[in-house]
Amino acid sequence: MIPACLRILALTPLVTVMLFCQDAWALQTHGGIEGVVVHQVAHIQYLGALGYLLWDIRRSGFAGVGWLYLQRFCWLMMIWNGLAFIGHLAQMNLSEDAVSTEDGYLSALLLLPVSFGRWLYYVTALDHLVITPALFFLFLAMRSFSRAAVSEKMEDGR
Amino acid sequence: MIAGIPLLPAILLDIIGSAANIVFAFLAWRYARSLSRRQPGNFVWGYLFYVTFAIAAFTISRAVGHLVKQFLLIAGQGAIWAEISPYSGGFNTLFMISVAAVMIFYHKGVQAYQALEHEAGKLKNANRDLAAVAAQLRDLNQTLEQKVEERTEELSQSEKKFRHLFSASKDMVFFSDADNRVVDMNDSGFEMLGYCREEDSVLQITDIFADPDDRDAFAARLSLDGYIKDLNVDLARRDGKVVSVLLSATAIIGEGGEILGSEVIAKDLTRVKTMMEQLAASEKMASVGQMAAGVAHEINTPLGIILGYTQLLMDDVQEGSDPYQSLQVIERQTKASRKIVADLLKFSRQSGSTREEIDLNDILADVVAVTEHTLGLSHIAVHRQFAEGLPRIDGDPEKLRQVFVNLVNNAHHAMLDQGGGELLLRTRSENGEAVVEIRDSGHGIPEKHLAKIFEPFFTTKPVGQGTGLGLSVSYGIIHEHGGTIGVESPVHDQQQGTLPGTLFRVRLPASGSGTRQIADRFGAQA
Repeated sequence: MIPACLRILALTPLVTVMLFCQDAWALQTHGGIEGVVVHQVAHIQYLGALGYLLWDIRRSGFAGVGWLYLQRFCWLMMIWNGLAFIGHLAQMNLSEDAVSTEDGYLSALLLLPVSFGRWLYYVTALDHLVITPALFFLFLAMRSFSRAAVSEKMEDGR
Repeated sequence: MIAGIPLLPAILLDIIGSAANIVFAFLAWRYARSLSRRQPGNFVWGYLFYVTFAIAAFTISRAVGHLVKQFLLIAGQGAIWAEISPYSGGFNTLFMISVAAVMIFYHKGVQAYQALEHEAGKLKNANRDLAAVAAQLRDLNQTLEQKVEERTEELSQSEKKFRHLFSASKDMVFFSDADNRVVDMNDSGFEMLGYCREEDSVLQITDIFADPDDRDAFAARLSLDGYIKDLNVDLARRDGKVVSVLLSATAIIGEGGEILGSEVIAKDLTRVKTMMEQLAASEKMASVGQMAAGVAHEINTPLGIILGYTQLLMDDVQEGSDPYQSLQVIERQTKASRKIVADLLKFSRQSGSTREEIDLNDILADVVAVTEHTLGLSHIAVHRQFAEGLPRIDGDPEKLRQVFVNLVNNAHHAMLDQGGGELLLRTRSENGEAVVEIRDSGHGIPEKHLAKIFEPFFTTKPVGQGTGLGLSVSYGIIHEHGGTIGVESPVHDQQQGTLPGTLFRVRLPASGSGTRQIADRFGAQA
């Protein structure tokens, strides 16, 4: 069952993050790349939740522009999660000499030759091209619902 | 010169995108909050409110982290960012997990709530349906109760109406069962037959009929036709007298066609019969009156001649001699004959009369003055009840005096046999008429004679003691005055009940009333 699986996925990182501090009096220490792993798992969980929401919206047969916008939000947000997941992997695999900041941070360069890993890092660094439209569609969806509710109330008022 | 791809676009996009994300996420949450506040009962809006809240928290934490990172790195404070970075990343992860959790768990909660709400809605609908059905049942019940009450009231009214019709009817009404037992009879029936309701004995139909043939005819016709209409039969009273009735009956038929009993209505015809007899007598009296007038005229002349010649002959014959005595007998009998003729003329109203306004109390006082002595000798007490303010009438005082003397003499004779009694003379005013009642306590008049007493020459007295013209003449005189004369025997007194004796009631129209009423053709109208 999807909810049961996602419930486990949701609880595991949460507990892990709460015990993230290095100096915490825990029975088990959580150093190394554990933070990245938790973050990546969280991306997968987020993606799964969005997929579930998308499936549920389509299953419920909600009609209207607002629901269409919300579906687009889900799609783009799922894409973004995937992109971020890949981006984190690409960043982890990027060598320290791949980026040069000799002329300052704003003049940083992704050094040549551009391998697949470096190219992947560069592309995923532009993830706002996906997440920003996704949130824009979320805004449009909510605005559409709100306006529909207002006009419905006005019609009821007449 | 190091060749490479500038990361500045990615940095700028990160800064601008993060700022835009904060704006869009915040606006989305604002709209969702507005929706949930506008329609608090809408669970979808509630769900979207929490989802957008979690997304906004995640987006803001992430965007703020990115902006801080970019500005610290631009400012050359990479070391600070290195310290902050784990916390920023941790919160970012935390909010991302929160978003996923809210999306799934809250959504499932909403679904569960909606399912519960759906079930609750169904229950509510079922309750509403039940309430509607209960209301309908209640209305139906109330309507039924109301209808039952109305029907009961109608039945009660109907029963009361028919019970009143049954009990208040002046005709005999009774029901009988299959064994010819009278199971219920109204008071008029008991009164007509002279029985008492309180008696335990069961009355049989066979006991009622005076003639067995009538009883058989009743049973046969009821069995054959199922009903009987206007059957004239005589019923036997308890005291042995016979009551003539007009009888109608309907058989009560059971589901199997068997006769369960009968409903019978009987109308007393005794009074109608008496009236018919009186009517016939009145007609006869009118004929007799006309004949008597003619005969009287014819006889009066020869009688005058006989009397004249007899008196002439008496002048020629020596007084005391045998022929003289014979002539005296002829003269006396001729005069008696002339008196009879005169009475006949009075009865037929051929004799002359005078008219004046008179007070009947004065007339009665004269009559009592003349007769009281004689009555006293016969031990008859005279009681006077003369009304004050009695209407005066137009009439012949001599003739009316004669009427009342006749009536008093009749009363006298009725009480002679029993050695005395009481005579009541009463006057009163009623409906503009003067009423005179003369009541004796004598032996009364048999019912069979009541219709004949006003006929000329009808008398129950021994031969030679009465001509039978007294009441006839009285009848003629009262009739001539526009009044009526009636007889009642025995006397029905409202206060004292039925009394033995006879009552003559004379009604005469008041003076100047202009209502010289048509003569009472039935004579005995009391």
